Order: sequence, then structure tokens, then C-alpha cells
Amino acid sequence: MLNHAEASEKFIADAERTTWHDETLWFVRSKRDKVSKLLPEWEALREQASSIKDHTLANLGQYLEEFEAKAQKNGIIVHWAKDAQEHNEIVHSIISKHGGKALVKSKSMLTEECHLNEFLTKKGVEVVDTDLGERIVQFRNEVPSHIVLPAIHLKKEDVGETFHEFLGTPKGNKDPQFLTEAARQHLRGYFLGANVAITGVNFAVAETGEFVVCTNEGNADMGAHLAKVHIACMGIEKMIPKRKDLGVFLRLLARSATGQLITTYSSHFAKPREGQEMHIVLVDNGRTRQLARDEFRNSLKCIRCAACFNTCPVYRRSGGHSYHQPVAGPIGSILAPNFDKSANVDLPFASTLCGSCSNVCPVKINIHEQLWFWRQDLMKEGLAPIGKSLSMKGMAFVFSNPTIFRMAGYMGRLVMRFAPFIVNNSFNPWFKQREMPDAPKESFQSWYKNRK
Amino acid sequence: MSSRSEIFGAIKALEKREISHPGDFKSYSATKDPVGDFKNSLSIVGAMCIEVENKKNAEARLSEIYPDLQRYASQDVVANGLDLEAVDVLEIDGMFGVAENGAIWLSDQFLPNRVAPFICQHLVIYVAKSEIVATLHEAYERLDGNYADFGLFLSGPSKTADIEQSLVIGAHGARSLCVVLT
Ligand code: SF4
Repeated sequence: MLNHAEASEKFIADAERTTWHDETLWFVRSKRDKVSKLLPEWEALREQASSIKDHTLANLGQYLEEFEAKAQKNGIIVHWAKDAQEHNEIVHSIISKHGGKALVKSKSMLTEECHLNEFLTKKGVEVVDTDLGERIVQFRNEVPSHIVLPAIHLKKEDVGETFHEFLGTPKGNKDPQFLTEAARQHLRGYFLGANVAITGVNFAVAETGEFVVCTNEGNADMGAHLAKVHIACMGIEKMIPKRKDLGVFLRLLARSATGQLITTYSSHFAKPREGQEMHIVLVDNGRTRQLARDEFRNSLKCIRCAACFNTCPVYRRSGGHSYHQPVAGPIGSILAPNFDKSANVDLPFASTLCGSCSNVCPVKINIHEQLWFWRQDLMKEGLAPIGKSLSMKGMAFVFSNPTIFRMAGYMGRLVMRFAPFIVNNSFNPWFKQREMPDAPKESFQSWYKNRK
Repeated sequence: MSSRSEIFGAIKALEKREISHPGDFKSYSATKDPVGDFKNSLSIVGAMCIEVENKKNAEARLSEIYPDLQRYASQDVVANGLDLEAVDVLEIDGMFGVAENGAIWLSDQFLPNRVAPFICQHLVIYVAKSEIVATLHEAYERLDGNYADFGLFLSGPSKTADIEQSLVIGAHGARSLCVVLT
């Protein structure tokens, strides 16, 4: 597996596409800025959302119990899974009871995290992702590169090609309207025939035992209301205490995600419809472990809006796939080491620590600080990438020794003035896509000493 | 040990932290013109809007907007959602609208079937001008104690921008939404 830096190198090899990716996501971020500024109480809303989540996490056990009791009273069947494997098995056992060859699934980052599609495919179940972006990447045997815009790494030519191959659309047709219509027709067939529908969950309300699913396409509802069995999969951190709290989160979610006022559909599922079976699978998969860690606990406040992706200078220029995780971007880089430290050591380093992520996060997660905490943790455990730990050790040595520090500065300035090729070459990663600055003639220290 | 008790065990083993709920949010985005704001939001989310004196007067306008299309206006329960697949234009009642985002609350108490507003090709929703609230906070205030088995906020026709971020109206749900303000 390539690490983040290596994979990014591949991504940026296509300069034009990188620029497009960068600018498109920045455009989404700008839309978020515009709509958020229209609300005079935007900052108060973020504060409120953050406090509600802090409170919920501090009382998670109580709210989960309340939710379970209410949901069961509503006629929903509740399951608990401690990890991805158990989640997949539960889902599969429900499916096998009801038969059917194909099931429809709307977007759920949890099922991506658990690699449910892979699991079910191996068991002979055809999983049809119904979100347009997810269907596109599924055809291509890829994974989503962004949690809200799964196919943002692709251009319409790519989608045209893919649909030509899988849906028989005319070769060369890359009109988004036309291609979307083709997908609509293709997926309608599956909606009308599926026995089982799987959806994610955006919010689960303890007070009422209901859960809320947000989409723009209407695919979650098309699936859930037609199928005999609806399975909703959620991480245990999706809990909120009261129905009125939804007002806060629904005002923040779409505005932060895409700059929309609200998603087209915000559906509240409280009871199964007549004759329907409704299941909800509550999954831990490392969340209680994260809950126990003071410095990382509040990463569980995340509502998966992806604002931190869109604003991140590293994400925008390296693409989601270089994070080799179902959830990429700044928040993914905090969540990933919780699953597997050594497989994800590169991710907390895939950041400039500029803090832009923390500034846009609707639930005020201190994302960039947590990235920095992980770096320290990984260094301490000796897991940090070898280049980083060597250069950090070198830096620590130089900074702690004044004579060597002065020497090093002097040497550096000499090199930059008289032999710039030593740093302006491809062995120095800082030189890629950059000009090295002109070196000052003297150090700050000597300037300070000599000034009148 | 069951996974359920394992999960609860892990949570209960954590040190108790006292953090209270901040209470209901006090919104200060008031509106002087809820109907005007609602109409503005509808245009942002890609919905049409017509104003009429009463439901009956909508007839002429709707047949202009949807010529040659079959309209279906019954609220009688349709047990099998698939039976609504052929509906071109579905007319339903919304309970109230939200000025800040153009959302309309629909609940299965007033729908022939839960899938109705999604499976039809075009959607017409009637909302009374007197029933527009300013924000989602007021919306939930109104819904307090009214726990539908299924309900939703619907704002605009279905849409996607998954192909190169170009907005396309008519993903899986209705291809157009016309809100009739009475
Ligand atoms: S960390 Fe914050 S900004 Fe990033 S996806 Fe989660 S809620 Fe959104």
C-alpha cells in the first residue's frame, strides 16, 4: 500500500486535474462561507452543537439505553455490534432470512468503514449503491474519495466512459443531465424490485427512538419505503438527546457540507410501516476506545459534513484516495490511527496544521490539535515515518545546542547563496512545486547584535 | 458476554463526567416577512411557487404547468407503494413551511403512502400562507408532541451534483416541485 505522500504524488502527476479538484472543492467551501454568513447566529449554533455533543458523549450510555427502549417500543428491532465483523454478520443474517438476490443501499460511511459491500458480495449478495456518486465508483471498482461527494475525483468524461461500459450509454456522451437520467432509469428497476434496503443514519434521537436520514437524491427513501425490510446502520456516536436538538444540527449540516440551506430530504423514521420490518444496528468498532481517550474523545462529535475536507489545502491537492481510508481528509486522519496505528502513521502527518479544518467544523472539533497529538503519540511509540523521526531528532539536537544552531544557520545561508542547487533539487521534497526563498545575508542574531 | 453488555460495560467503566445539556437554542434570526422569505428559499432550492386564493383556483395554473400529465390528488391510503409508480403528478398537503430553507413538513398522516412524494415524477404541495414558521427551531417547536410514525422535511425537487459538481434536478425523487401557497 502506498502511503499518503506516495499516493499524492501519483494524484498530482496530472496537474490540470489537480487544479480542477483543488478549485472545485474550494468553490464548495466558499458556498459554505456564503450561506453561513447569512445566519447571524452561526457561531452560536456551532457552540450549541458542540455543547450538545459534549453532553451526549458524557452521558452516552444513558442515551443509548433510552434510544433502544424507545425504538423497541416503536417496533424497531435493535442489534448491537462490537466490531465491523459482527456488524456485517448481523446484516447478512437479516438478509438471508428474507432472501432476494439484490439489495439497495444508500450512503453510509459506517458500512464503508466495515467493508460491508465486500463481505456481502463474497456471500453472493449483490449490493447496489444507489447514491449516484457511489454507484459511479462502485461500477469502477473504486471507493468513494469524499464522504459527501463520492466521485469528486472523476471528470464527466470518466463517468461517460463508465456508463457507456456498464449502462450502454452512447460512447462519448458526457452530459451530466443525460448521464444522471440514465442512472435514474437504471436504479429505479432495483428500487422497485429490492426486498431489503440498507441506509445510514445521520442522527438518532434518544427521546423518541427515531432516526433521521438526509439525502438530496431521495435514494434512501426510495429504497426504505419500498423494501419489505429496512436495515439502518449507525455508529453509537450518532446519538442526540432530544428532537428539538435536531433543529440545531439540521441547520448546520447542509450549510457546512455543500452550502445548501438544508438537504432536499430530511426523513424521520420512527416506526416501520405496516407489514415492514425495520432493523437498526448500533456499532461500536473502536468508538468506546476513542471515548476513553481524553485528547481524541471529541472526534466522536463529527457529523460527517466534510467541511474540513473542502477547506484542507492538503486534501484538495492530494485527493481522497491517497488517505487509503474510507473516511479521508482531516477527520479521517484522526479516526484512522484509532483503528490501526501502524497502518495509518502517515495520516496525522498529511496536514500543514494550518487549523482551517477546526475553524469550519460545525461541531467545533479541535481537528488540527488532534492531528498534532497523534503525531506526538506515534513518535513516542516509535511508529512515526522514519524520515520524520530522523529529521525531528536532528532538529531537537540542533535546537537544544546553541553553538550548533548558529553553525547550522550559517551553513544554510552559505548554501542558499552560493550553492542553491544543493537544496533546489528533487531530493528535497520542499522544492517540489516551490521555489526556495532567497537566503538572508546574515542571521537574525547577528543583525540584532550589530544594530545601532 | 453479549456485545451489548460489552459496549455498555466499556462506557460505564469510564470516569463520570458532568456536562449538562445547554438547553434549547435561543434563535434570534427573526423574520418580518415569513412568506416572502419562504418564497425566496423555494427559488434557491429549485422549486416553483404559485399563489392562489384557494385550492380550487390552482386548477388553471397547474394545468398550464403540467399540460398533458395525469394528476393524482387522492389522500386515500395506497397499501402498496409500487402502485404509485405510474403517477405523473402527485398533489399533497404540507403541514407547514419553514422560511429559512424552503422545507415543508410532510407526515404519513397525510400521505397515501410513505413512498408517494419520492416515487411520483412531479410533486405539487399545498401550504397555507398562515402556516410558515421562521426557522427549524420553530418548526420543531410546532412538532412538539406530534410524533409521526414517519415524517420529513422536504425542500425542493430531488437533485444531485455528483457528476463534476454540475447540478442536475431529478435524481431519484420528483423531477419538479411546485408549491401552491393558499
Ligand atoms: S470533523 Fe467537523 S468539519 Fe470534518 S466532517 Fe466532521 S463535522 Fe464536518
